[in-house]
Amino acid sequence: MKQRVLIVDDEEQILKFLTTALEASDYAVIQARTGREALHLIATAAPDLVILDLGLPDMDGKEVLVRARAFSNRPIIVLSARDREAEKIEALDLGANDYVEKPFKIGELLARLRVAARLAGQEQPKPTVFEADGLRIDLERRLVTREGAPVKLTPKEYDLLAFLVHHAGRVATHRQILLNVWGPAHAQDTPYLRVFVGQLRAKIEAKPEQPKLILTEPGVGYRLWTED
Amino acid sequence: MATERELDRRPDPDALLALTGNDKRGKLKVFLGAAPGVGKTFAMLQGARRLRADGIDVVIGLVETHGRSETAVLLDGQEVLPRRGVDYRGRTIEEFDLDAALRRRPALIVVDELAHTNAPESRHPKRWQDVEELLDAGIDVWTALNIQHLESLADVVSRVTGIAVRETVPDSVLKNAQDVILVDITPEELIQRLHEGKVYLPQTARRATQNFFTPRNLTALRELALRRTADRVDDQMVAFLRQGAIEGPWETSDYLLACIGPDDRAEILVRTAGRMATKLNATWVVVHVERPGHEETDPTRLKRIDDALRLAERLGAQTQRLSASDIVAEVLRYARRENVTQIVVGRSRAGWLRRRLGHSFSDEMVRRTHDIAVQVITTPEGEAPRAAFRWRRPTPKGLLPGLIAAVVAVAVAVGIGEALSLVIKLPNLSMVFLLAVLGCAVSYGLWSGVAASILSFLCYNFFFIPPIYTFTVASPQELLSLLVFLMVAVFTGTLAGRVHDQAEAVRQRAQNSESLYDFSRKLAGAAKLDDVLWAVAAHLQKIVGGAVVVLIPEEGDLQVRIAWPPDAELDAGEISAARWAFSKNEVAGWRTDTLPTLAKQFRPLVTPRGPVGVFGFEPMARGDAPTPEFERALTAILEQTALAVDRSLLIGEAVRAAALEDNERLRTTLLSSLSHDLRTPLATISGAISTLRQLHDRLPPGKREELLASAEEETERLTRFIANLLDMSRIESGALKARRDYLDAADCIRNAVERGRKAFGAESIETSLAPDLPSIRGDAQLLEQVLFNLLDNAHKYGGGSRAVVHARREGGAAVITVTDDGPGIKQADLTRVFEKFYRGGRADGRKAGTGLGLSICKGLVEAMGGTIEAQSPAARRRGTRIVLRFPVAEMTKSLPA
Repeated sequence: MKQRVLIVDDEEQILKFLTTALEASDYAVIQARTGREALHLIATAAPDLVILDLGLPDMDGKEVLVRARAFSNRPIIVLSARDREAEKIEALDLGANDYVEKPFKIGELLARLRVAARLAGQEQPKPTVFEADGLRIDLERRLVTREGAPVKLTPKEYDLLAFLVHHAGRVATHRQILLNVWGPAHAQDTPYLRVFVGQLRAKIEAKPEQPKLILTEPGVGYRLWTED
Repeated sequence: MATERELDRRPDPDALLALTGNDKRGKLKVFLGAAPGVGKTFAMLQGARRLRADGIDVVIGLVETHGRSETAVLLDGQEVLPRRGVDYRGRTIEEFDLDAALRRRPALIVVDELAHTNAPESRHPKRWQDVEELLDAGIDVWTALNIQHLESLADVVSRVTGIAVRETVPDSVLKNAQDVILVDITPEELIQRLHEGKVYLPQTARRATQNFFTPRNLTALRELALRRTADRVDDQMVAFLRQGAIEGPWETSDYLLACIGPDDRAEILVRTAGRMATKLNATWVVVHVERPGHEETDPTRLKRIDDALRLAERLGAQTQRLSASDIVAEVLRYARRENVTQIVVGRSRAGWLRRRLGHSFSDEMVRRTHDIAVQVITTPEGEAPRAAFRWRRPTPKGLLPGLIAAVVAVAVAVGIGEALSLVIKLPNLSMVFLLAVLGCAVSYGLWSGVAASILSFLCYNFFFIPPIYTFTVASPQELLSLLVFLMVAVFTGTLAGRVHDQAEAVRQRAQNSESLYDFSRKLAGAAKLDDVLWAVAAHLQKIVGGAVVVLIPEEGDLQVRIAWPPDAELDAGEISAARWAFSKNEVAGWRTDTLPTLAKQFRPLVTPRGPVGVFGFEPMARGDAPTPEFERALTAILEQTALAVDRSLLIGEAVRAAALEDNERLRTTLLSSLSHDLRTPLATISGAISTLRQLHDRLPPGKREELLASAEEETERLTRFIANLLDMSRIESGALKARRDYLDAADCIRNAVERGRKAFGAESIETSLAPDLPSIRGDAQLLEQVLFNLLDNAHKYGGGSRAVVHARREGGAAVITVTDDGPGIKQADLTRVFEKFYRGGRADGRKAGTGLGLSICKGLVEAMGGTIEAQSPAARRRGTRIVLRFPVAEMTKSLPA
């Protein structure tokens, strides 16, 4: 069965090409041009994925996000022409699963859609093993190996890596990471996090100066690379 | 109790503050000696060598070895600053190079002979002022000083030694020094050293011995030096006690007031008061009280007051000029207000009678003071006591009319007297003459009254006292009555004259304050700095008489902002004096301690925020001290000026800040607009193209075509947006030159509508053009673009309705309207829609557009001499109508029919 994608955008041309592209990629497409319409469709048509533009005529895209999250946990990918980091972080913290910045190439959007769909699908059986680029993380045994050799991590480094594994392929904001790994008292300690990520990269990356696994989303957070 | 004691023993905050205040300034160490040759320079250089060995950055700024070899040896291996050569009357004088020292900025500099007088044209007349500047710059200074050069001791020293001391150093310099080291040897030893040739060069030694180096002199000087140092140590002890809050008694501070007059005792009085203040460790103030209507006019006496007050300032006193008719009351009022603890006055040399009556100034002071100690200082006899009543010296200008008036008045009195004596026999006609005297005194002042009384006396005698027509007097009682008449005439004349003079003085003062009021009103009306400065220059020029100039800092340096006469220029010395006045917040130039040889004086314009500029002026007469009246007026005006300048500078800053803020807001809007309006079409183009590439095979052919069309359409949109941006910047920069051709408006409309129909569909636009549409002047291309933009807007915001273009003639104007049937524009937004980057909707809401279209239209229409206006609702509470009006171009020539 085809997955259903709801596209929320007020720009006719964007709606048009996205619909064409997604239908060609085996998605079923539903369109919404206003925030009100979008909320209605999320509630009634139960789309598998939502692509949401932040600039809508009747309400702010973030408002749609908040209201939708009250009743739906479907993956929502935010589309935004705004390149302000604060906006993206806010959207992610409000419950968006990922974001794509305008202008974008269709391949990038499709990849994000796949990641989001897979993570949503895997929600019930949590991943126990993550493998990428020679790194293997066994979450059950708390074991990290690189090319078969065990990697020694401090408990916090391990927690950080595990959190990224749970969000593999998706961006995790600084705030989300800090809240989950260090707790609310450290929610603002981004520089601290940067140091930790550096240490972690030194231990798990093949070339720590050119990280391939833990990717930096400038000003927003980190994304763990997946083979997708 | 314990806590209370703790509180009491806490260090005095002022004492601690004084301590920390010393941190930024350099520290001064003074090597004090009783006489030349005691070894000050030697001690200083030895110390400097030690510090240099310890790695401290020590520089020898200037040292006089006086050919003493043992001293010269100590200079070896030290860094000695080269001296500055000054040409003076054909000779080259070597002076301490202050600027070189400031540039070099050592940690410590040694500058010998603190009391030295610099060569003329130097920045400061005295070396101690150079040292002050070094200290201000944060450089530590070591210097040497002989006790005889201390200002407050100068008169004592000259009395004791018989040698006049010319070079003096203010006591405050020594008082503010961090350390004072007494370099001491016994007089015998010093004389011995002198004989051995260790002090001066041998040929000058003998003369010096005879004049100065006598055991008596040296002992006296030594005592002065020892005493002064001991006083200082005493003070330091008190300071330590206070800083450390060590329990112990210390004196409450005294406040001394010395009252001086214009006589020759003023200087002695000031010096005596200064010594008392030093001994008591008291602050002190010197006041001079002037009686209104009796202002001092004699230049030597004026100079004396001026000099005495300046001396007081050098000795560390505050000075105050007061004005009151009752001098004693005014001094007491001031003393009570300022919590003065002691008043110092000189003993009056009033006449025998006044002394008997207890009416001399000092007696009055003692008699009327109950709560403040009064010290009466006796001084050696000098100037002869002056009369209690002083004739005001008349000005020749006022004198002549007064004398003429006296002659006329007396002549009239004679006439009336003669006439009266014909009618009735009066026993005494002197009343008529008294009337004449009184009249003259009241209208023309004292001198006219006196002249009238003498004339009256003579005429009365001549015409009315038997024997008539002679100046002889027959009976003794007539003589007596004549004398009484003269006295009465003089007294009433004097009194009336004084009333007249006082009235004159009051009038003068009223005029002054009126002129000040007028000035402040003028200033209040001027907001721009240039207006303020013009008002200031015009007003001050009237008061000063000579050239005036106002300097305001611009880009870090003082610039002449206004000068009167306008071509007046400042030479290098004047500019440096102005800079000095500005940076040090002190008066510089003429009659000051800084660059006194200049023709101009520079005063800082001070506000609570600090100095805002400098006022410079050239006095009418260089030699004269400014009168107190002038001082008062100038001070008041400069205060007002400073505030006005400050205010206008603040207004300027506020305007600039507001402009900056506007700019900032515009930039933010521009950025968000660019971000949205560039990225949205780009997103479609990039998305469509990448879809075509990546999913090409999976797309049906119709969809491929659609994607390509989308990309093309969005490219158009981008092109339009960029063209708009370019137009906007052309309009803004003034690069846009609209042609003023004769246009057929109907043609332009038809072309624009044609383009619009192509872009938005054939059915989207309706036109209704009046047949008599006149020609207008403008640029066909620009007008077409304006109309197309309006049609584009109508299409975007019209909610799918038709746009109607209507054109007709209305009097002298051609009116073109573009109307849509959309939701319309809010009343409040009707004018704002023409502002750049203003959008009717939200910042990036749907269909809000770029916020450029209408502002470009406005720019273009105005460039063609037309107007643009938005009306909403257009009809039935819906729609927007944009109205363009162009003046009809009247054809000056027409083709023959």
